[in-house]
Amino acid sequence: MIKFLKLYEKFGIFIFIVVGAIVLSIASPHFLELNTILNIITQGTYAAIIGFGMTFAITSGGFDLSVEAVMGLTSVFLAILIPVVGIPSAIVISLVIASSVGLINGLIITKLDVNPFITTLAMMTIIRGVSLLVAGGRQIVISEKSFMTIGTGKLLGIPVPIYITMVLFIIFYLILYHTPFGRHVSAVGSNENSARISGLNVNLVKIAVFVLISFTAGVAGTIRTSQTLIGIPTMAPGFVLIVITVTVLGGTSLSGGRGNLWGTLFAGIFISMIYYGLNLLGVQIFYQMLSVGLVLIFALFIDGIRTKYLEKIKAKGIKV
Amino acid sequence: MSKIKYLRVALIIVVSLMLALTFTLAGCKKEAAPEKEEEEVAEEAAPEKKITIGYSLWTMEYTFFQNLEKGVRDACTDLGYEYVMIDQNSDPTKMVQDMNSLVGQGITGMVSTPVDPGAIGPAVEAARDAGIPVVCADIGKSGPVNALIISDNYHGGELAAEYLHELLKDDPNNTWKFGLGNLKPQWTYARERGEGFRDKAEELGYEIASEIIVETASAEGGFDTMQQIISAAPDIVGAFFSSGREAVGAANAVEAAGKDIMVVGYNGDPEELQAIKDGVLTATILQQPYLIGYMSVEILKEIIEDGAEYEDAVVPAPVKLITPDNLDEIAKELEEKRGQPAY
Amino acid sequence: MYDVKAKKVKMKIGQLWENFGLLFLFVVVVIIFSILSPTFRTYYNFANNFRFSSLIGIGAIGMTFCIMSGDFDISIGSMLALVAVIGSSLIPKIGGIGGVLSTIAIASFLGFVNGVFIAKLKIPAFITTLGMLFVFRALAFIYTNNTPVYIQDKFWLFMGNGKVYGIPFAVIVMVICYLSAFLLLRKSPFGRYIIAIGTNKRAAMLSGINVDNVKIIIFTLLGFFIGVASVVTSANLGSANPGLMGQGYEFQVITAVVLGGTSLKGGNGSIGGAFIAAMILTYFKNGLGLLQVSSYWQYIAVGLILILAVTLNRIKYTLLGQVEV
Repeated sequence: MIKFLKLYEKFGIFIFIVVGAIVLSIASPHFLELNTILNIITQGTYAAIIGFGMTFAITSGGFDLSVEAVMGLTSVFLAILIPVVGIPSAIVISLVIASSVGLINGLIITKLDVNPFITTLAMMTIIRGVSLLVAGGRQIVISEKSFMTIGTGKLLGIPVPIYITMVLFIIFYLILYHTPFGRHVSAVGSNENSARISGLNVNLVKIAVFVLISFTAGVAGTIRTSQTLIGIPTMAPGFVLIVITVTVLGGTSLSGGRGNLWGTLFAGIFISMIYYGLNLLGVQIFYQMLSVGLVLIFALFIDGIRTKYLEKIKAKGIKV
Repeated sequence: MSKIKYLRVALIIVVSLMLALTFTLAGCKKEAAPEKEEEEVAEEAAPEKKITIGYSLWTMEYTFFQNLEKGVRDACTDLGYEYVMIDQNSDPTKMVQDMNSLVGQGITGMVSTPVDPGAIGPAVEAARDAGIPVVCADIGKSGPVNALIISDNYHGGELAAEYLHELLKDDPNNTWKFGLGNLKPQWTYARERGEGFRDKAEELGYEIASEIIVETASAEGGFDTMQQIISAAPDIVGAFFSSGREAVGAANAVEAAGKDIMVVGYNGDPEELQAIKDGVLTATILQQPYLIGYMSVEILKEIIEDGAEYEDAVVPAPVKLITPDNLDEIAKELEEKRGQPAY
Repeated sequence: MYDVKAKKVKMKIGQLWENFGLLFLFVVVVIIFSILSPTFRTYYNFANNFRFSSLIGIGAIGMTFCIMSGDFDISIGSMLALVAVIGSSLIPKIGGIGGVLSTIAIASFLGFVNGVFIAKLKIPAFITTLGMLFVFRALAFIYTNNTPVYIQDKFWLFMGNGKVYGIPFAVIVMVICYLSAFLLLRKSPFGRYIIAIGTNKRAAMLSGINVDNVKIIIFTLLGFFIGVASVVTSANLGSANPGLMGQGYEFQVITAVVLGGTSLKGGNGSIGGAFIAAMILTYFKNGLGLLQVSSYWQYIAVGLILILAVTLNRIKYTLLGQVEV
């Protein structure tokens, strides 16, 4: 039982995916097709990629609401820079610009000591204003067709965004679980004061985390831009809620200190499956929102019961 | 410390009392005010007539609304009117607040492009009570507006279906199936476009094999939705998206999937024209935001200067089909009108 | 010797800022815009802005309680829409007064449900309300089948548009709400409980406070105030739209509460501050619009003023020699 619960903590969301997949494959004849499955995974990666960054932010006790604005900013700069400096350098520069938003976030949070929620809420509107100013309020068309490969290309039959996600996942996984920096992130999240007392440079860790999440938002923004070949200053309205949902559903604890990257990855795919699957069935959009909300509450409810149970047997003196 | 606290309470009370006093005084004055104001207006109107048009606009974030705004602004310049614009920032409550603000400013006529057409009723009433005519430029209306100029959205949808039929009717591979990408249901004006397309397509013998709402209202949202439509109905030959950005995203998804599906959009924004030129998008329905904006001020002019009677009138603004054949011609026309490149 | 003196001066400045800072900021905003814009300084516009500040202001009361106790609610925007469509659709059956009362009752109940989830099932407030944000909005769509409900009832509309002696009735509603909330927070044991829980939950529990019940009451109260805000908002709009009402409302309210000096870490809070902050935000946005400032710059200005205000708040604490825990 205990072993099962331990597994559930890590892969619980996977059970949701399996159940959901069985139901959908019975209900829709088109669900079990290779293309559909690949599309669902691809559409899940956008939220998952930023979710990796969000996992870091929440693990460190922080939060970031500015991600969708950063996506728009990246998109605008890509569209402006590609004709000038070519695709590779444009991507690099845009990602640097995206990351620098994270740097500003981090500096405001640590040096001015402003709450992350408020900082990123303010930055969300500021960055949106900046993107619109830079773009002159227009959607900028990118005429470089080859840029599309990043978002829509396929390698061995698998869409490129999935590869990008895999690479990012491996990197972030190694950073979070196998480097001192990852341990520092957890330490700052579980108890900032004791982390500071034990000599950690808490501010540096926090800044790095916010740079990371803005970077992931930049990557997602790049993929999305390449799919439509338009620089969109108002990209992905409301997307940040999905990203947070994905991260929390994946089992990353809001009280900090415990991040679950596997969970984030699977939760991204699961949420995409809900939307995609219900759309295949022709279900109205309201019910998709309803199911996302209910699933979130239900998953956390189960999680609460699990934690209580573990505490109970811990109190009985059984080693968990 | 406690002294300061009392001081603070005292100060708050004083400020509120002052506010209350201003309100009551102003309230009393107001009851007597209307006649006087009218007199003043009449007096001022005689020697020098200064007409101010107030414009309450949904948002400046999209090209469509920017062109609307330019139309209203240019019309005001051409007619020698003063012009004030307040952006609603897509927020219905800010919209009502700003419209009331404009009324308080003593404008002569109001143009509104409401984010929530159902919610302008009280504000329009306040304007009409103050003797200010209100014209809605596109989207919709509620309350006693003088006129609404709106794109013929239903007909636009029909045009899209007809054009697709034109291209496909002799095609041996025609499966007689279409896909349809709608906007979220709260945007009522866009719903009519989908309905027009569906009705016409069914009349011509097509089946709408998959109808999906675009979750993220942006080009990349259209990309996602098209992937879903292709999964749900892989054998469709054409698709209609009731907004332009989404249609461009959808057309890109078709290309990425290696399918042969014709996509028609709706709006006529620069990115759509570019996509038609590049052969990605099949066609689009051109709305004429600049014209709508310009017309709404012209109607206000008729009401204000010529005393024309407009009450609850609906003026349809024509929509046009843009295809690769007439693209250059229309782009040239647009450029002349807007004074900037069409794409 | 000098150090002590300097410290005293700093304390004085800090105290002055704490007590009058926001009022001062408000007066500055009003004066600047009054000088720059002739429209802004008219009575009409002043009253109009005051009326619309109540939409955020009323919601900010409940949110102040919530944030003071160390929690968060981001479902209020969806709740605003849901109870408005339900309440206004009931008008033909039970009349305007009944509709208003049932709107407030339903909102309180939804708040109660949130509270039970959070207190009894131990799901963090942020996640519960994130889930509810989707659920409430979806229910609003499903209930109305996405058609806006138009409100014709005189009584209901009076809540938003009516005037008593020239004072907008919405403002009177807001003032009553604030006075009762102020008394509740400062003069009743309940207020002390909120502060105790926000400052240190464990200590509060050990001192015999029933934390769960207090939390449920806080969320029920929040629901109550959202119910009132919902009536006032829909009355101002003359209709209730399931998809458009309350979009982004939660962020506006949280901004007002934080600008009002309530600490997101809990314990520290100011009801009066939220009131003035709601006014500052409303007047500021309106003033920028009237001055024909480009929308894009407006976004930037609103973001900057938020960061600036919170930073000033931090400086205040340093001046007071307190470290915010």
